[in-house]
Amino acid sequence: MTQLNSIADRMSRIFRDVFDDDTISVRDDMTSADIAGWDSLSHINLIYAIEKEFRIVFTIGEAGGSLKNVGELRALIEKKTASKP
Amino acid sequence: MATYSASDLDYQRLLKAARRLSLPQSAPTIRIAILADCATQQLALLLRVLLGEAGLRAEVYEAPFAAIELESCAPDSGLYRFAPDAVIVLNCAQALRAAHACQGNEQADFAAQHLARIVGVWAAVQSHCEAMILQSTFALPPDSPYGNFGLSVPGSLRASVAVLNAGIAAAARDCARVRIHDVEGVASWVGRDRFFDERAWDLWKAPCSLEELPRVANNMVSVLLALRGGVVKCVVTDLDNTLWGGVIGDDGLDGIVLSAHGGGAGESYVRLQQFLKQLRARGVLLAVCSKNEATTALAPFLEHPDMVLRRDDISVFVANWEDKASGIRRVRDELGIGLDSMVFLDDSPFERNLVRELLPEVIVPELPEDPSRFVAFLSELNLFETAYLSSEDRQRAALYQHEAQRRVVAAQSASVQDYLRSLDMQAVLARFDRFHMPRIAQLMQRSNQFNLCTRRLSEAQCAALAEDQAFIPLYAKLADRLGDHGLISVVVLERDEQALLVRDWLMSCRVLARGVEQFLMNYVVAQAARFGLRRVIGEYIPTAKNAMVRDFFAQFGFTRVSATGDQWALEVAAYRPVETFIRLVDPGTAIQAVEVP
Repeated sequence: MTQLNSIADRMSRIFRDVFDDDTISVRDDMTSADIAGWDSLSHINLIYAIEKEFRIVFTIGEAGGSLKNVGELRALIEKKTASKP
Repeated sequence: MATYSASDLDYQRLLKAARRLSLPQSAPTIRIAILADCATQQLALLLRVLLGEAGLRAEVYEAPFAAIELESCAPDSGLYRFAPDAVIVLNCAQALRAAHACQGNEQADFAAQHLARIVGVWAAVQSHCEAMILQSTFALPPDSPYGNFGLSVPGSLRASVAVLNAGIAAAARDCARVRIHDVEGVASWVGRDRFFDERAWDLWKAPCSLEELPRVANNMVSVLLALRGGVVKCVVTDLDNTLWGGVIGDDGLDGIVLSAHGGGAGESYVRLQQFLKQLRARGVLLAVCSKNEATTALAPFLEHPDMVLRRDDISVFVANWEDKASGIRRVRDELGIGLDSMVFLDDSPFERNLVRELLPEVIVPELPEDPSRFVAFLSELNLFETAYLSSEDRQRAALYQHEAQRRVVAAQSASVQDYLRSLDMQAVLARFDRFHMPRIAQLMQRSNQFNLCTRRLSEAQCAALAEDQAFIPLYAKLADRLGDHGLISVVVLERDEQALLVRDWLMSCRVLARGVEQFLMNYVVAQAARFGLRRVIGEYIPTAKNAMVRDFFAQFGFTRVSATGDQWALEVAAYRPVETFIRLVDPGTAIQAVEVP
């Protein structure tokens, strides 16, 4: 299955929107420390935006910050979108 | 003004709009303080955007989390130093649930305690500043350890929320500076399943799903704008395909689609008219702006029986062939109100766009194509928020109170007789006419049970009967103080030398046991007497479904004419009218026509 937009590309677009910074390109090793404005408040908006874009739902643990970096977030999105019918 | 379509309330869109928000220097400022037992950061941001889109610069103070009492009771708190114009109090259901669980559940006075706390906060705010107070209601939580039974358990969370909401509304009525922002109304509109987001509560103490938070904020904004006087004062409405279906100029009075009981789109248009009539009663002015000949456009208001709106409901009536912007300007000039306090309703996208183009201040909702959705759509837009009751409202409120008392009396009345009397039933009785022909034919085709002869006459045959002077074809309509039942019975009589013959007698089962048939029989026999006829003769033709009226004639003292058939006869002189509690109203010309054989 080929995807016109890779998950990382779609994530970058969401990050740019949420953090209002057109220069963001997500990398797996990124953490909240690497992005200006990634605080607890914008994290909520990020979670909602990702759920909406990928039509997935995070559990409370996943949404609440059990993920260490962007790579783990990307892997989780991959897993959740792949398991959808 | 506020937003006019639900898509404007998209959370992501509003987040982006918040960054680009820029207001002219001249934009007035409104200072809003939020006291809440939930997180308020997103809410504050949404309020800034939505008020900004309404042209107001919002300065927002967020009191510390769950410090509603602390902030309101301390005269030197951040709340009072901020000097707010409005204080929004948001008590959320999840915090109430936590308090309920702490107190060991099912405390019968739980609601009373919390109501006292809420009212105490109002008193404190009122004594320390001049701000208006916007108090939330509680969304009815989904938790129910009792299932359906929960509402019946005193002190259960659901029962407490219901009591609290009613208590908040009642208490606010007596406080000039308190207004309700109805969170429960928002929750039930979107559905509790979508509204509540337990994950967002557990993680971040968000009062609801972020997707629905803009609706909560917009609802507060509606109240704030109404308090500032930004209310709709006049609805200007088109006629053809807006107030009724079809085109009055082409289809004529009996061709337009408008019917209180006929089923289908006719009822949709009636509902819109009822909605407008309620606005009218509340003090919102109504105006008509229609491309029509004036006399043609007026005719339904004067003559159509199912028009809810009448000529004197309409403050300005513009019907001509000029463009609608000119018509709306004329309404403005005659009423002396601003264009920005006017809503324009029109089914035509062309007219709507023209008005938007030429008169951008006028509020022009994008009416759905389907008339059955008109009222729900307008309700969702919440265009008619108000912060004050007009004197008409107050009069109505008083009227409702009397009405409520009357109902209590009815509920206590011991007998069916007393109940029927309390209904204040009013009947209209008239010869078939063209307005009612579709409904008459429908009743002829459909009624099975209360139907003595079950003749399935078509609309054309009914129309022919109406013209035939040998016949007296009657319909009856019934209304009572609880509602209008519409056309519910048909009786076709034929006059011969000696007797009045009952050719058809049928009735809708919706109005059984109210005395309608007794009322009609009294009338029929009285007519026979008036014509100098000795007897009334009728026939019962049994079918698989009409056993209900097998003894219809017998109950009125008719006797069987022949041993075999079901022909019945009544001596007019022997008839004793049956007591009923129905009043004949609006006799008009139709009844006189009956008397001319």
